[in-house]
Amino acid sequence: MKPAKATHEQLKRHNRQMLLRAIFSREVNNRAALAQVTGLAKPTVSDLIAELIDEGLLVEGGHGESTESGGKRPRLLEFVPTARQVIGISLEPNLASGVLSNLDGQIVARHYASLSGVQGEMAVMLLIEAINGLIAQLDAPLLCLGVGVPGIVEHETGIVRSATSLGWRNLALASMLGQRYEVPVYLGNNTELAAMSQLAFGSESGVRNLVTVLVNSAVEVGIALDGAAYHSGGDIGCLRVDGGAGDDGRLDSFLGWDYVQRRAGELRRIYPDTLLPASDLTYLHLRYAAAHDDPAALQIYEQLTDYLAQVFAWVIGLLRPDHLALAGPITDLGMPLLHLAGEKAERLLQPELIQAVTFSLAGSANLSAIGAVAQALQNELGILS
Amino acid sequence: MKRPTLGIVTNNRHHVFQRNIIAGVEEVAGQRGCDVVVDSIAENPRHPRPVSLDIPALAGVLVISNVLSDDFLRDLYHTGKPLSLISHRVPDAPIPAVIPDNREGIAKLVQYVVEECGRTRIVFIRGDTRQNDAVQRERTFRQEALRYTLQVNEAFMLDGEFIPEVAAASMSRLLQSRADFDAVLASDYLMGVAAVEVLRSAGRRVPEDVSVVGFGDGQEAEAAGLTTVAAHEVELGRRGARQLIGQIEGLRIQGVTMLSTELVERATGKGN
Repeated sequence: MKPAKATHEQLKRHNRQMLLRAIFSREVNNRAALAQVTGLAKPTVSDLIAELIDEGLLVEGGHGESTESGGKRPRLLEFVPTARQVIGISLEPNLASGVLSNLDGQIVARHYASLSGVQGEMAVMLLIEAINGLIAQLDAPLLCLGVGVPGIVEHETGIVRSATSLGWRNLALASMLGQRYEVPVYLGNNTELAAMSQLAFGSESGVRNLVTVLVNSAVEVGIALDGAAYHSGGDIGCLRVDGGAGDDGRLDSFLGWDYVQRRAGELRRIYPDTLLPASDLTYLHLRYAAAHDDPAALQIYEQLTDYLAQVFAWVIGLLRPDHLALAGPITDLGMPLLHLAGEKAERLLQPELIQAVTFSLAGSANLSAIGAVAQALQNELGILS
Repeated sequence: MKRPTLGIVTNNRHHVFQRNIIAGVEEVAGQRGCDVVVDSIAENPRHPRPVSLDIPALAGVLVISNVLSDDFLRDLYHTGKPLSLISHRVPDAPIPAVIPDNREGIAKLVQYVVEECGRTRIVFIRGDTRQNDAVQRERTFRQEALRYTLQVNEAFMLDGEFIPEVAAASMSRLLQSRADFDAVLASDYLMGVAAVEVLRSAGRRVPEDVSVVGFGDGQEAEAAGLTTVAAHEVELGRRGARQLIGQIEGLRIQGVTMLSTELVERATGKGN
């Protein structure tokens, strides 16, 4: 089948994105150079730049140097990151967590709303009321919205196929929100958006292929390949790491937070003097106790690094990423956890494959919401490639 | 047409924190064509008086901190009157609020004291434990101590109630006990300033012997050279006003808008 021809509107959008990307990345900053690097005709560049200036996305600054052959000094163009704003919001089982961002990813406000036990239409309503919290804080017109969902999302159509914790199936969330706020809305799976966040705004430079392993109650992987989100990551907690019956052999039964709590309870009976508290346990308690050679904490720590190493080996063996980021509350265990899991992974895979990967902890609580901003910006302006 | 009026209820409009917030509210209200009236109901803290605002005549109400009881706030919310809280939350009631990021701020202070100042024996001066801010800050201090594998010494957890005189008295008692500490982290900056004064009066050098830091920032902190973390108080007011005006204009809002904090490094932190 022959590929369909791009419409005039699609072509124009593509050309605008090319120009914005070139200016945003500081590759070039005047019309003649833009025509050169994009291959667009000079009149096309001039028309589109005039349009972008009218919309406030670009301003003309001073004059640049004239070329070696002389001629008029070009007017320099600057991107205006405060011309529009973007809302990114991620839905977790109990919380809607949102950010309001300028076009360069600078966060200007954060908003949180409880979703405890809420499902179906009520969850949609609470999502809207959380978004409204950021709409009230807008300093500039809203360009677009990005939404992260804990479940299976059809990126192209903006339909949530399944989000069990929210009771959503086949929900046309993007069009619903698009009609309400009259802006484009982009959906993504939370973990793939966490990877997008690392790719777009993370501290690692030159990374094109990145995997984020998110550990909370579930275990998920988010993948960004060749600078864009790969929309088939997600929950890997159901993978078998043990031959136990029923759900006992599942990865999330050994690596998720529920396991840590349950195991701490069991070990407390064996080690009654453990430093792990009987209530309100956190990963930081585990870190503190392990640093003080608490036997219960050390056992849990060993088991977590064993299973984390298994996940790292799977991910690196299959995807060969440049970078692997560990995300979620487990990051409170700090770099020693990452180093130990990395060392153990070397025993499961050829060491040189592990050594070719850089590792980091992604501890931000807003990772998926920031990723929703990154994806929305990428789709709307193409300024992150 | 009559301009909408925003009502602010606070304990004392002349205190620095409240004054800055009110300035932020007034700035945004002016830009958005609203008037502001302030009801300062506890200028004499021993004899607070009832709210005197004509609430039905107001477009909406902003309440600063915990000046009104949670039951009063719940009842007001259920009348449907647009309502926003600044630096306060009501448990189990979906009243929108604007609050500083207490967790981030305390985490930054602990990181600074431990990593930059090299201190490990930290005294914490808690705020008014009836207030959400005080509870969150203390809880975060305890968690962040774990991050640096520091043991929290309960004798170093002092009462301050967000009142400098109370903090100073607690600090004096600790000094009399000859406790061995090398840093003080105060849950608000006015208590931090009070701690600096007590320490210096007792012959302890700040910051050479003891690092002192506090949450929040204002002229008093600047005058004392106190190192702080702060959410911009005027910005708290601006964001609160926007949240309230958003509701007045028809937005249904749930949840809290949170403001980031920044470290303001001055003279009381690092010894060298």
